[in-house]
Amino acid sequence: MKRILALALRDLRLELRGRSGLFSALFFLGVVLLILGFALGPEEDDLRRAAPGVLWVALAFAGSLLAGRAWAVEVENDTLDDLLLLPGSREWIYWGKFLFLWILLLFVSLLLLVLVAGMFYLPLAQAPAILLTLLLGATGYAAVATFYAGLVVRLPTAQLILPILVFSVVVPVILAAVRATIGLAEGVPASEVVAWWKLLLAFDAIYLTASSLLFPFVIEG
Amino acid sequence: MPPLLELDRVWKRFARDWVLKEVSLAVAAGEAVALLGPNGVGKTTLLRVAAGLTRPQKGEVRLFGKPAREVEAERGRLLYLANPPAFYRHLTGEENLRSWLLLLGKAADDRAVAGAMARVGLPLGRPVLAYSSGMKKRLALARVFLAEPKILLLDEPETALDEAGRELLFQAIEQVRKGGGAVLLATHDRAFAEAAADREVVLS
Repeated sequence: MKRILALALRDLRLELRGRSGLFSALFFLGVVLLILGFALGPEEDDLRRAAPGVLWVALAFAGSLLAGRAWAVEVENDTLDDLLLLPGSREWIYWGKFLFLWILLLFVSLLLLVLVAGMFYLPLAQAPAILLTLLLGATGYAAVATFYAGLVVRLPTAQLILPILVFSVVVPVILAAVRATIGLAEGVPASEVVAWWKLLLAFDAIYLTASSLLFPFVIEG
Repeated sequence: MPPLLELDRVWKRFARDWVLKEVSLAVAAGEAVALLGPNGVGKTTLLRVAAGLTRPQKGEVRLFGKPAREVEAERGRLLYLANPPAFYRHLTGEENLRSWLLLLGKAADDRAVAGAMARVGLPLGRPVLAYSSGMKKRLALARVFLAEPKILLLDEPETALDEAGRELLFQAIEQVRKGGGAVLLATHDRAFAEAAADREVVLS
């Protein structure tokens, strides 16, 4: 656990000092929101109706930019070999990289929630329930993205292949999260979206378990 | 007592080209072996195979007397220093060392790290992106002094080092050998190989 935390914190420090990945994702996020705002506005009702979709479209696209960051730091510094020479079974490396990407995605999710609430009138009456949906959705996304980013890390076309791989697997997570968010935005009680949360939880558990078990085999050169 | 590092009839191919053909080599505890040979003969590949970073198509690699793929916990006692050595450019030298020690599961004692930095003659607080090639080599040697590995694999370790740096390199090799470890180094420099190693193996 100590090593998982140390790896995630080191990567976060490198991400903040390097500034490239997170800042491009945030810039991209702003552009996506602006374009969707112009395309769907200016009627308040139209914007409100589209808000849950906008939230997840923006998060999915920004996430695709962030997906490779967990491994890009090793490629940029040529340090992948050093990481693979660390002792112990390599599942812990997966968990450290997952934790790093998960924290990045949660940060972007929170920022996005505030922006969508401000620009698209997303009701925040059920903010805790929406936050829980974001948490579950970000977990599934980070689980899949960390695994596939590790799988393609040595390929020169990794940045092109990664979004295709991630989106093809993460679709159920995004769909379930969108349905839950629509329900919450329409004011249905949280108890009525529990089924979607259970589905998200099941996806998260499956993706995390399968990814961490398969990871040691895919990361070997 | 089995050798600490042993390659038994190892074959390694990239695409259709065989780089290593039936290479056998053993390095015993307390021994330093130099690999010599022209460019492209497979010295770096042999080191990477020995480190377990790439799998041979045929043959077996044994580390600490066990097949390499069964070595997990002991992997932390093997240190491979590539050429050029790799570090996180946006971290300082001492941050790199501390982070590496933590990930190895060792205590990242600030005084020990500062001591290792002083021993290799590197200043504190400077990011690695501001390091010269020789300074990166010295930082790599600081890892040897801190981790005290049992198997040390060095790829052209003498390049980019000045005279004082070479002296540190000899000290690092000697420390591993005296501690009962094995050293395998690849080099083009025959004079360096003769000075640093107990015996030489020429790949052809």
